[in-house]
Amino acid sequence: MNGPEPPRPGRPRPPPVPPGLPGGAPAPLGYPRGPWPTDEPPTRRFPRPDPDRCDGCAACARACPNGALRTAPSASGTVVSLDYGLCLFCHLCVDACPSGAMAAGPMGELAVRHRDDLRLVRGGPRPDPERLRHEVGERVGRLFAGSLSIRAVDAGSCNGCEVEIAALQWPRYDLERLGIYFVASPRHADALLVSGPVTRNMRAALERTYRAVPGPSFVIAVGACGISGGPFVGSAEIEGGVDRVLPVEVYIPGCPPSPLGLLYGLWLALGRAEPRLRQGELPAPVGSVPGTADRRTPARRPP
Amino acid sequence: MSPIPREGEEAVEGPRVPREEPAAPLDRATEREMLGSLRAGTVRWEPTEELWRLSVEPAQWVWSSRTATEGLGHRLSTLFADRTGDGPGGLRVHALFLGQGSSAGVHLSVGLDPLRPRLASLVDPIPYVAPFEREAAESFGVEFEGARDRRPLRRHGARDPEPRPAAGDPPAGSPAVPADRFAAVEGEGVHEIAVGPVHAGVIEPGHFRFQVVGERILRLEIRLGYTHKGTERLLSGRPADLGTIWAESISGDMSLAGAMAYAQAVERARGSVVAPADDRARGLLLELERTAFLLGDLAGIALDIGYAVGAARANGLREEAYRTLARLTGSRLGRSILAVGGLRRPLLPVPSDRVAATLVGLGQRTRSWSEELLDKSSVLDRLEGTGTLPRWVAELVPCVGPVARASGLRRDLRADRPYGPYRGIEVRVPRAREGDVKARFQVKVAEIEEACRLAGQFLEARDRAGTGGNPSAGPSVAVAAPSPTDGLGWVESPRGEFLVHVRLDPAGTVGRVHVRDPSFLNWPALEWAVRGNIVPDFPLINKSFNLSYSGYDR
Ligand code: SF4
Ligand code: SF4
Repeated sequence: MNGPEPPRPGRPRPPPVPPGLPGGAPAPLGYPRGPWPTDEPPTRRFPRPDPDRCDGCAACARACPNGALRTAPSASGTVVSLDYGLCLFCHLCVDACPSGAMAAGPMGELAVRHRDDLRLVRGGPRPDPERLRHEVGERVGRLFAGSLSIRAVDAGSCNGCEVEIAALQWPRYDLERLGIYFVASPRHADALLVSGPVTRNMRAALERTYRAVPGPSFVIAVGACGISGGPFVGSAEIEGGVDRVLPVEVYIPGCPPSPLGLLYGLWLALGRAEPRLRQGELPAPVGSVPGTADRRTPARRPP
Repeated sequence: MSPIPREGEEAVEGPRVPREEPAAPLDRATEREMLGSLRAGTVRWEPTEELWRLSVEPAQWVWSSRTATEGLGHRLSTLFADRTGDGPGGLRVHALFLGQGSSAGVHLSVGLDPLRPRLASLVDPIPYVAPFEREAAESFGVEFEGARDRRPLRRHGARDPEPRPAAGDPPAGSPAVPADRFAAVEGEGVHEIAVGPVHAGVIEPGHFRFQVVGERILRLEIRLGYTHKGTERLLSGRPADLGTIWAESISGDMSLAGAMAYAQAVERARGSVVAPADDRARGLLLELERTAFLLGDLAGIALDIGYAVGAARANGLREEAYRTLARLTGSRLGRSILAVGGLRRPLLPVPSDRVAATLVGLGQRTRSWSEELLDKSSVLDRLEGTGTLPRWVAELVPCVGPVARASGLRRDLRADRPYGPYRGIEVRVPRAREGDVKARFQVKVAEIEEACRLAGQFLEARDRAGTGGNPSAGPSVAVAAPSPTDGLGWVESPRGEFLVHVRLDPAGTVGRVHVRDPSFLNWPALEWAVRGNIVPDFPLINKSFNLSYSGYDR
């Protein structure tokens, strides 16, 4: 050793970021315990046909890229059927409608417990609700409301849904404040959060992951893909939705669903919120404030 | 530790690496002469695509590809098959070669007999052609004579065994698909670790097979195809204007890049021009997407070295970038805003100064965050020398995007083949020499800064153009009305060179679309970079590459 090393010049440090400069992390969130945040950017909401303004031109159905929206003539005007489980929220129908009958819906709380609650039929007979019985069903809230461990499985998604699922762990959404955790192994999980249209190459892996989850457990289908195949509906390479393979407890529509929509879906799964959509219809009048969901409903606490 | 070198700075290329200037591009006449020597059926110069399109005979296939790679110094960028009819020549194989820097590209195509499509494999002049040929063999039944790897790319052992032949399954009577197996390493103490397709994090599915001794990785083989959705086939026959919707779902984390590449391909096929205001808006959105995407990479690197506070801060910045996209487009990922010919609808009215300040803030915060991170010896210990991808491997693979640039290659389509918003502006291409995780980290930091600068520049140009600068949602003008034909779209996506090739049917619908995601080229580089590293470093190395599974599988 030849004595102590001479002090090395430090690296030039960048100037400190001035306080108050925008572009920092967004504020933390109170939702879903509190109301829908007011500082949320205006994201595209679900399309909503208004039968009073519709003149039956079917321009919306022609514009819809994947057949989520269909029209059929009937004696009493035009029947518009819309499947929010297929809808990509692309708003091509809204842009195409010449009479302004397609409008953006008022809220982002779209998750439902039954597939049929995503199907809207305006002006025609309603589909019979096929209320499936699930393994845990209404007991989910009681079983897991205090703490829920989730294993996310990508069953062939485009990675769009993964971006938003991963965002739940980020500072703003901070899922763990709700007692909900992502775990690394299905053996540690209470629920599977499945995105993607279930490709033929992922079907076996998905089924095996499901079998590895200790019961009682349940499945949440995320995104248009997870519900119905989404944009890929019609491809021979997919099964077309998680419920073709596994029983699904909650469906969270969107392409991809926003992190807030995912939070609502998880809250719904835990029985802490009531579903707002019923057979595609909103109980509240159009224009009601987003996020006035049934937050007043007393939360079902574990016994 | 040197600051991140920028393009052109001497610090970029140290004394140990000889400075390699890209060969000066040949002039068009010389190129034409060289290509003319191929005696191709037709040679067509496509000015909007800066591309020579040649139709050659099967017997000339290998030779003309050699001319493109060895003679002109190009690299194979994509190879795919297309079926246009049942008669002779009804099945065509296309190969696209792009050159160094700004030289013109070469597009070769050859017609084959659809009943018995056979073609010489390009594996000898171009070793990395294998996945392309495997894909064409699998989906179109093309038999590549002399190919050494004939394993199926997507119809492998994991496939749902239900007897449901999909359209495009190889016709009955085609050579049996060889067994799908992994190479094994034998010897004392060698064992195998199989990981996936379901991984521990919130990430896409793929299968990794490691051969290891103790903790050290001898060899890694990656099997993908789990997210194959048949997107390309699904698009055939759809109205060309709708295609952006599916292009956004090729790699959902680069929705805008995918839509942009597709839109450009159709625009070039139709010969339409995009209004400058729309172009600037596209540029702004693309650079915002790059910022958000790369911040996610940085956060992932921080998380995988166990630096949770750093990861949270980078993710907070990323969230802000996505929220800015949402304020501008109504969609956090920028979905359904780009359209063929421009934008689908005008950007939402957001005060420009607020967006500009956010961009400045994102860039500055990323820089100071990264400086703080790289000041910690425990961070450097994990990043330095981990997952090194030498330049010569990056060149051989051949890598694109930040992965290539972190190994010293200067490849950036925004600078090399400027398109749309990038025409006539200067794009700085940051590079590093070492090719390790730290180099990729630093390159990505510098790219975020550059993306924020460019986005700010597009925003400024929009404001300078006055109130009329808000982009129109109207259709673009068709300058020429050529018979509907082929178009190539290229975008420097956050992961690198993203190519979309579109053939339009006479009716204006999509005939065939082929997507070459940057990850299709880059995945083999990951297999190289992990060798000699320890298994626990794999997630970190993987994150520093952050390749797309869905883009590879489509
Ligand atoms: S918003 Fe939904 S219903 Fe409307 S065109 Fe898009 S996918 Fe179809
Ligand atoms: S629902 Fe949309 S975002 Fe989600 S995986 Fe499917 S295509 Fe991607």
